Amino acid sequence: MRWLGLVLALLAATLAAIVLGPASVPAGELLHSPIFWELRLPRALLGLLVGGSLGVAGASLQSLVRNPLADPFLLGLSGGAGLGAVSAIALHLGGAWTLPLAAFAGALLALGLVFRLGLVAGSVLDPRVLLLGGVAVGAFCGAVTTAIVTLAEASELRNAFLWLWGGLSGASWQTVTLMAVYVPVPLVVLLAAARPLDLLTLGEEPARHLGADVLATRRRVYLAASLLTAAAVAVTGVIGFVGLIVPHLGRALFGGRHRVLLPASFLAGGILLVLADTLARTAVAPRELPVGIVTALVGVPLFVLLLRRWTAD
Amino acid sequence: MRRWAPLLALFALTCRASDRAATGGGGPAHRIVSLAPSITELLFALGAGSQVVGRTVYCLYPPAARAVPSVGDGLNPSVEAVAARHPDLVVLYRSPQTETAARQLEALGIHTMMLRHDRLEDVARTAQLLGQATGHAAAGDSIARTLDSLLSPPVPAPQARIAFVVWDAPPIVIGGGSFLDELAARAGAANVFHDLTAPSATVAIETIASRDPDWIAVVRDSAGAPPPGWAARSEWRTIRAVREGRFLNLPPDLFGQPSPRAPEAVRLLHRMLSQ
Repeated sequence: MRWLGLVLALLAATLAAIVLGPASVPAGELLHSPIFWELRLPRALLGLLVGGSLGVAGASLQSLVRNPLADPFLLGLSGGAGLGAVSAIALHLGGAWTLPLAAFAGALLALGLVFRLGLVAGSVLDPRVLLLGGVAVGAFCGAVTTAIVTLAEASELRNAFLWLWGGLSGASWQTVTLMAVYVPVPLVVLLAAARPLDLLTLGEEPARHLGADVLATRRRVYLAASLLTAAAVAVTGVIGFVGLIVPHLGRALFGGRHRVLLPASFLAGGILLVLADTLARTAVAPRELPVGIVTALVGVPLFVLLLRRWTAD
Repeated sequence: MRRWAPLLALFALTCRASDRAATGGGGPAHRIVSLAPSITELLFALGAGSQVVGRTVYCLYPPAARAVPSVGDGLNPSVEAVAARHPDLVVLYRSPQTETAARQLEALGIHTMMLRHDRLEDVARTAQLLGQATGHAAAGDSIARTLDSLLSPPVPAPQARIAFVVWDAPPIVIGGGSFLDELAARAGAANVFHDLTAPSATVAIETIASRDPDWIAVVRDSAGAPPPGWAARSEWRTIRAVREGRFLNLPPDLFGQPSPRAPEAVRLLHRMLSQ
């Protein structure tokens, strides 16, 4: 029943994204319109893939570091992606794919650094070290980014910041295909780790006693979730709140077992982002709001309602 | 007109403050630091170029301005770097960010003028103010007259519809609050985003496609250059003008800031549109 509700919500959100928009396209002509094929449909699909990726990445990372505040961008990835994008612009590297590729490279660099920090001094990806390392690397990347923006003379850098705030305006069939090919691999890795993740939420010692390979699970989950986030930030910039709120929604509705929680977070993340993007495109048309603002405006009240229900229970 | 009334009132207040600043030093300013590219251009156009002792890193027009030492950023100025040029007048772009810097400079005994010209009629008034403050009042009046004669006739009936695209990800267009909107109108083109009151705004590609401009104007070098890279992407090709390759490459030194050379910009844009 709950699954049916989630699937119906997904269909409704996708339908709204395809039918609504600043351009008025008569319903009869929708299927023949380039507005539908080249703009709305790829944008809705990219929203589902990116929102879903952020939802799953958030759910797995929260279990991994056993911290309900964890968010896919907490581990320094947004800082790394921003540094990559701004460096590309400052170095005048042109081309449609430069910005996403540079952002992806930057996110991978940050990921590598944090991962290396997590292994420092014999600590085996200690969640506390990962969190601190993520915050430190993120802050460092942010500082270098600001330094570049301050010192370089390219006026485009201001706009690079806008890109970093996140949005689906760059959606195209290429980005959809890229995500559709890329996303299943880390998703399968995370789903395969569902059982050990269940055990890890009990604590490290109990998990080990119950037969989980704690280090291998941590390594796999950390890398897969980070790679999902890196791809998302490369195609859409940093979209906040989805990865933070969706896992909590998923847990409230479907419980904490990861075999159920991860697919539910994928669907819920997709729904939230597609709805938020439709609002971002239409609420103040002809202008467009940054989608991250709308995900917060929609997600936070939902989150507060849930918190009230929890505390009432 | 009523819509602009509060702005005009603010402007008048600024003018009074500036007049005081300009006369308070007794006579025209001889060492001027300009903290906005459009103000630097105006100072050189007035014939006060030799009095300019500091500029921002972004002040690149006219070429002679590049010989003036740079004091860094204009919107977030280094008060110490400005003061080190020993100016008797600092001209700032009026914004909440620069007000603190202006107060600090005044505390050091340096006169300041806070000006904001986003539209062409503002340039005419600024030219007169700066002319008086620098001892080039006649040149200021002459620039103001030239701009007024450009702006006073009724706006010609638009021959074409145009969209200014300043960035592609996210798509940012120029709205009715920008001088580019005025330049287009004077050149016989209607900005399809004239209804947006802000100088610029983020919009969806879909919105640009539905407004269906005849031309896409981009501010970039080299008039004969091929269309920008994003024009090849399928999502942008939903816009008719992009599919048909109807791009106008506007040179940045003429279209990058509100300028006393607005009549020249209007003539160039008009020529481009009629080709």
